[in-house]
Amino acid sequence: MAAVLDTRLEARPNARRIAWVPLALTAVALAWLTLFLFVPLFAVFFEALRKGWGTYVAAIAEPDAWAAIRLTLLAAAIAVPVNLVFGIAAAWAIAKFDFRGKSVLVTLIDLPFSVSPVVSGLIFVLVFGAQGWFGAWLTDHDARVIFAVPGIVLASVFVTFPFVARELIPLMQAQGRDEEEAAVLLGANAWQLLWRVTLPNVKWGLLYGVILSNARAMGEFGAVSVVSGHIRGVTNTLPLHIEILYNEYQFAAAFACASLLALLALVTLALKTWVESRS
Amino acid sequence: MSIEVREVSKRFGTFAALDRVSLDIEAGELVALLGPSGSGKTTLLRVIAGLEAPDSGRILFHGEDSTDKRVQERAVGFVFQHYALFRHMTIFENVAFGLRVRPRSQRPSNAAIKRKVMELLELVQLAWLADRYPHQLSGGQRQRIALARALAIEPKVLLLDEPFGALDAKVRRELRRWLRRLHDEIHLTSVFVTHDQEEALEVADRVVVVNKGRIEQVGAPGEVYDHPATPFVYQFLGNVNLFQGRISRGIANVSGRRLAAPEHDDVDEAPATAYVRPHEIDVGVYQTGESVPATVDHAVALGSVVRLELSRHDTGEVVEVEMPRDRYEGLRIEHGDVVYLAPRRARFFLNSQPDHTATAS
Repeated sequence: MAAVLDTRLEARPNARRIAWVPLALTAVALAWLTLFLFVPLFAVFFEALRKGWGTYVAAIAEPDAWAAIRLTLLAAAIAVPVNLVFGIAAAWAIAKFDFRGKSVLVTLIDLPFSVSPVVSGLIFVLVFGAQGWFGAWLTDHDARVIFAVPGIVLASVFVTFPFVARELIPLMQAQGRDEEEAAVLLGANAWQLLWRVTLPNVKWGLLYGVILSNARAMGEFGAVSVVSGHIRGVTNTLPLHIEILYNEYQFAAAFACASLLALLALVTLALKTWVESRS
Repeated sequence: MSIEVREVSKRFGTFAALDRVSLDIEAGELVALLGPSGSGKTTLLRVIAGLEAPDSGRILFHGEDSTDKRVQERAVGFVFQHYALFRHMTIFENVAFGLRVRPRSQRPSNAAIKRKVMELLELVQLAWLADRYPHQLSGGQRQRIALARALAIEPKVLLLDEPFGALDAKVRRELRRWLRRLHDEIHLTSVFVTHDQEEALEVADRVVVVNKGRIEQVGAPGEVYDHPATPFVYQFLGNVNLFQGRISRGIANVSGRRLAAPEHDDVDEAPATAYVRPHEIDVGVYQTGESVPATVDHAVALGSVVRLELSRHDTGEVVEVEMPRDRYEGLRIEHGDVVYLAPRRARFFLNSQPDHTATAS
């Protein structure tokens, strides 16, 4: 008993002496976060509402802005489901089967992460542009990909390609194949296997991948910028619209639109936290 | 339903997991596939289940070639080492799964499913856990649920892959007795894989000893234990000490003793190795003939038996000896004493014989 008391008495002053270290570290971290996160975030909303609520609403309701919002939602509405289906298929193949060229496929899935978005956009210009491989054919058939909505959708799909698959592959690999094998032995066909065993086991990871994929699809600038052509009210997504407004010194309108994207990011973060707490 | 395995081979890259394996399992039998890890026993089980396709050879169920039959159609009940319960389903739904995934025309009504599942949960004595999730159960409970789930589809054959491997020793002993009793009740043709010889000998009707992708010996537990066909089987089923000697016309000369080796009566003067179980060695305090001197390193009393560990003076090898406690006390030996060892009984294998000669009896 005496020994225990002794060590306690000894430990006390030590604990007091180093108490300022965690405090200082916390202060540094907070200062850093304030400077690089809270101040910019506050600035976006402050600038957006600086000229009053009326200006804010007008900036968003303006036809070009409204068209940009619709286009952004459309691109995300196509890119996310496409990548959802692709991501599940790719993750299933990679995690549950052995085949030749598996590592090549894994590398290919990561490609959109490692390539600069501008290059991603340029790839599509080179393939589908007027001077590109399929340019003449597309012109003959009166179809446009580049500087039109299909190009924007393609670019969005490309840059969000890895999110769902990347999220699912490690999860599925960690879960192994036992449950799938058990289900097959009990008579389940491939479809029942997918819906009743594989997907329920990865639903939170899947939702997480979708949320990230959606955030990226709505926020993408570089790749979309290259293929868009910046035609107002037609091929401008929300991030492109913000850039144009800013370059035209319409700061209040630019920040109003930017606040929408920032809000989206905040909602995404909240959703992500909720999903993580559930899984 | 009987199972026939005919000349099955399976390679993984350059590794031969199964090398022309043939095995007959009779209807209603409980068979253990026993072998060290990497011996191919699990691969054999998975080939029978249809989870792996053999490179060559056939699998017959009840005389009918099932090699190319789909896994879903084999009606095989399979129990995994790590249970493989569906983690997002309740225990009830786990057991009901095999019935719910049936095509609509063959699917029982909800009431019939409920009745069947509860019946199976009663059988494994865990009906009170129906609404729980797998992670809320202990290992032993999970394995019993896995068994109930496998039985739900009314399989013709039950295959168990190291079913008790992930459980602690006490639960393992309880569960294997329970499995034996269950088998005696339902008489389902069953094959289980294990690396634990005690488990195989205690539970199975017949034991199949597998090593390096081949079958070393097939036989009743007592037969395999008392008459091992190969040195591998001898060493794998329990502790063994090796003594060098010579054999001539059915008589072996080991450490100055002449022992019968009737299975080698056609051999004329050849070096042989004697395989001696710990309880088949005599320990004396005086040298007789050419008995081997050894030093007592360690003595442990385990109930009525004393287990000695000694090191041989000639080879330095460790020898294990077991003897009744009163005999040990009569010898009055202790740690560090020198004693003399001679085998009382042994099984002989000629030294020229490769150690994986496959003989199925």
